[in-house]
Amino acid sequence: MSNVVSKNSAINVVNLEKSVTTQEGSLTILKGINLDVKQGESVAILGPSGSGKSTLLGLLAALDTPTAGEIWLDGEALSPLNEEQKAALRKQKVSFIFQSFMLVDTLTALENVMLPAELAGVNNAKEKAEAMLGRVGLSHRLTHLPKQLSGGEQQRVAIARAFICEPKVLFADEPTGNLDSVNGHKIADMLFELNQESHTTLILVTHDLQLAKRCQRQLVMDNGHLQEELGAPQPHNVNDNLELSAKEA
Amino acid sequence: MELSLAWRLFKRELQQGQLLLIILAITLAVLSVSGLARVSERLQVAINGQATQFIAADRIIDSPVQIDSTILAKADELGLKHVTNMQFNSMVYAGDQFQLVTVRAVEQGYPLKGHIELKGDNAIDKGTDIKADGLPKANEIWFESRLGGLLGYPKMLELGNSEFNLSQEISRLPDAGFNPFASSPVVLMRIEDVAKTGVIQPGSRVTYLYQFAGEEAALTAFENSVKPLLNNSQRWVDVQSGDSPIAGAVKRAERFLLLASLLGIALACAAIGIAAQRYCQRHYDVVAMLKTFGASSSQIRCLFGIHLLLVTLFGIGLGLMGGALLDLGINQLLPPEIAAYSPPLTRPILLGISTGLISAFMFSAYPLMRLLAIPPLRVLQRQLEGLQLGMWLHLLLSLGAMALLGYLYSQSWALTLTVVAAVLLLGVLLSLLGFVMIRLGHSVGMKTTNPLQLALAGLRRRARQNAVQLVGFSAALVLLLTILALRQDLLNEWQKQLPENAPNYFLVNIAPDDAKPLNDFMAQKGIAATDIYPVIRGRLTQINGETLISNEQAEAGEKGRVGISRELNLTWRNTLPANNELLEGQFNQAADEVSVESGVAERLGVKLGDKLTYVIDNQELTVKIASIRAVHWETLQPNFFMIFTQEALAPFAYTSMASFYLDEKGPNNTVSGEGAPKNTLILELIQQFPTVSIIDVGAMVGQLRQIIEQVSLSLTLVLVLVLLASALVLIAQTEAGMATRQRELAVLRTFGASGWLLRSATGFEFALLGGIAGVLAVIVAEFALYLLKTQVFELNVYMHWPWWAIAPVSGALLVALLGVWRCRQLLNQSCGELLKAGN
Repeated sequence: MSNVVSKNSAINVVNLEKSVTTQEGSLTILKGINLDVKQGESVAILGPSGSGKSTLLGLLAALDTPTAGEIWLDGEALSPLNEEQKAALRKQKVSFIFQSFMLVDTLTALENVMLPAELAGVNNAKEKAEAMLGRVGLSHRLTHLPKQLSGGEQQRVAIARAFICEPKVLFADEPTGNLDSVNGHKIADMLFELNQESHTTLILVTHDLQLAKRCQRQLVMDNGHLQEELGAPQPHNVNDNLELSAKEA
Repeated sequence: MELSLAWRLFKRELQQGQLLLIILAITLAVLSVSGLARVSERLQVAINGQATQFIAADRIIDSPVQIDSTILAKADELGLKHVTNMQFNSMVYAGDQFQLVTVRAVEQGYPLKGHIELKGDNAIDKGTDIKADGLPKANEIWFESRLGGLLGYPKMLELGNSEFNLSQEISRLPDAGFNPFASSPVVLMRIEDVAKTGVIQPGSRVTYLYQFAGEEAALTAFENSVKPLLNNSQRWVDVQSGDSPIAGAVKRAERFLLLASLLGIALACAAIGIAAQRYCQRHYDVVAMLKTFGASSSQIRCLFGIHLLLVTLFGIGLGLMGGALLDLGINQLLPPEIAAYSPPLTRPILLGISTGLISAFMFSAYPLMRLLAIPPLRVLQRQLEGLQLGMWLHLLLSLGAMALLGYLYSQSWALTLTVVAAVLLLGVLLSLLGFVMIRLGHSVGMKTTNPLQLALAGLRRRARQNAVQLVGFSAALVLLLTILALRQDLLNEWQKQLPENAPNYFLVNIAPDDAKPLNDFMAQKGIAATDIYPVIRGRLTQINGETLISNEQAEAGEKGRVGISRELNLTWRNTLPANNELLEGQFNQAADEVSVESGVAERLGVKLGDKLTYVIDNQELTVKIASIRAVHWETLQPNFFMIFTQEALAPFAYTSMASFYLDEKGPNNTVSGEGAPKNTLILELIQQFPTVSIIDVGAMVGQLRQIIEQVSLSLTLVLVLVLLASALVLIAQTEAGMATRQRELAVLRTFGASGWLLRSATGFEFALLGGIAGVLAVIVAEFALYLLKTQVFELNVYMHWPWWAIAPVSGALLVALLGVWRCRQLLNQSCGELLKAGN
């Protein structure tokens, strides 16, 4: 396994494998995954249900541990890290948007957006959260609870929350999956706009081909294998430009 | 950061009512403990206060010789008030008449509790008793009415070498006790006057009564240091020593209060346990989300630690306020002299706070551990719940919390461990039944043809969850039924002890010649006299031919079987007295048979068939023990250690005793038709039958009634708290299954199940669950009651047949109503809303 990684890679994956134990025996969900995502790049991962998209997302975001292989997140290898160190890494570098929004339903819109900033010890969390909510057009909804907001508005709160800590990498799991097409479009516009502004690397898992096409690259998960979609630029060869030794954990 | 975030979460969740259940549960636990501690302390003081009036003090040392002065010095040191009394028998003379009296020589300060009641001036005419202000002056004697009757109300009385003025007529001494056999009337004098009478000589039989009163803590300290120093001839007496007629009532009430409070606490704890689990489950997503955004374990631990602490403190605050309100409310119902007493607040407050903290944190510990272990990946895979720690840990922590709280409250490991073991047993029993349901529930699909089938299918499908709910519902019902039945039985028992129209007058020393005229007099006045008992005094001298020795002889080192040192009051009867219970043998059938009270039989070490020899009027009488009886000494009835047959006692001279009830207005059915007032009638009785002694126990009956009323109040209060705790457990348990139910309703709705079908099926399902819980509860409650009644309360055991119908039906109704009420929002939602909310 390689222990060096490209200087400008946001995510680098080598020979990644994930198996789980079931009643029927071991089940391999991901096999031989190799991937290199440049900083600031937007990548869509497409694939049918059960193809392993979300599993891959969980592994890339340091939420889960692979069975084999290695992942470098912003140049840092994940395998030597324990759960606490992974959490610290996520706090510094990563953010998320989920299909089911995952807002804390008892906190207001403002408080939900403040949450990651507070966890990261940002001083002016409240002001930044107000500004972020302004950016997503919800200045008038600061004190509203999630259940008082429409689905689209809830996802906008989630987007504001995702960008408040200026993450290096943003993982989005079906961000428009729970929305109608009009709201879905608006959310997608907002997501790509903020992504471009902040030069965040975006890993987007989706069923939606239209949404996927707005990303720079489209990858397809099929039966545990990851393939570059036809018509898209050829996948980066992870071994092509190994320039820099990965940081030791 | 954690503090502000925890505060924010707490504030928001509180505003949105999401913490209602757990806060209510903590509040109830704290309210029960702090309120009950204070109320029961107040009632305890009230009951003991009333009760101590029966012994005129808090504690007494009863000794045949003067006690060591260091004991009194110790009492002074502890700040206890004390007085010394002497009691002895002596002859008094008035002109050429004489009479044996019991002399009570008392020190200034007597009585420490209660008061002496005197007949008012021309008392018999005026008919009012007044409280004595002080004691007899020097050279003065106060006397019992009986003595006045016997000696013809003389002005002066000779006792030994001195003459005394007979100044006041005593209606009742507070510590006179209930002894209708007291053959000699009592006179009261100052202890300083005893020496000059010269009646006490070395070797005279005198009883020294040292009476003490003061703060409970000082009394306990005194008891601990002094009691071990007493020898066999000295007795330590308190209200519970068994002599006092209320001892039994107080003991049982105390046991009940303690037990019911412990069960109430256990129930409130169960509610906390269920609510804590729900509280943690609701935060699974929040924890997963926080971890995803990079919160460290210590941050999350800290956040939820503070959050739970805030919830707990809020609950404790409300609970303490509720406890204070409860105390205030109860105080309104108490007589002013008791209400005026304010027990210190420290113990109830500390108990309340520790109950809140221990119950909230120990019951939440396991759910909290699971909560903190929620993996961040749950944000993507919603079914993930993290590590499954062993249930044993949860059980251990919960039982540990219960035991700790129980001990804090009761200060008795024995009682606490019994309750905890019972709760554990109850849980195991009910879980086993739940397990059976799970086995039955395998491979049952979802049938949607009619609501009952749908309900049955639902019940089996959710068998595991329902089994847990069943344990909760049944446990709440079991404890409720147990407390309900015990309370009722205790009240009935006391009612039996002091029925309406319980005798308030005893007539003793009725000569055989007076029996018929007295009977005629009573009939003429329309007074219904109770049983008449002949009384003959005799001494037990031999058992199976072996001569008995006295306690004093035994103490002096003499070898031999110890008997009863005093003369006994013997009677004859052909039937078992109503308030006696035959334990062994047959009640007197042959002439030479005797029936012996169980306590004395045990003390003497005798059994059925043993031969007892008595000396009566210098003649020997030998009889065989034919039966052993249990006697309820606490009843205000004449009770006897030994009951003979009429044939056995026929050769001996006897007097009789009877009792009757007379209210203030006199008998209802008087010959004159106007109703002779009580005191006129009593005067008439005294005048016509001067040798018959009348003992008025009305005041004692009144006091007993008051005690019983106060105890009943406390029992009702505890019942209400247990009821509330049960209701909370039911609600918490219903709440616990809502998430799964919501998803199922969504699916059924989506597939076209009508609102009516879903509502009926939900109602049926909860009703079935409640009904089964009701049946289980009755079975377990009957068993628990059997154990409690036989082992703790000494009450009669019987089956509560109506419950077998009432409990399942009301369980079904109650749980169905709760369930449908709780599901009403879900049942009214569209399937879109349901599906969305269920995600």
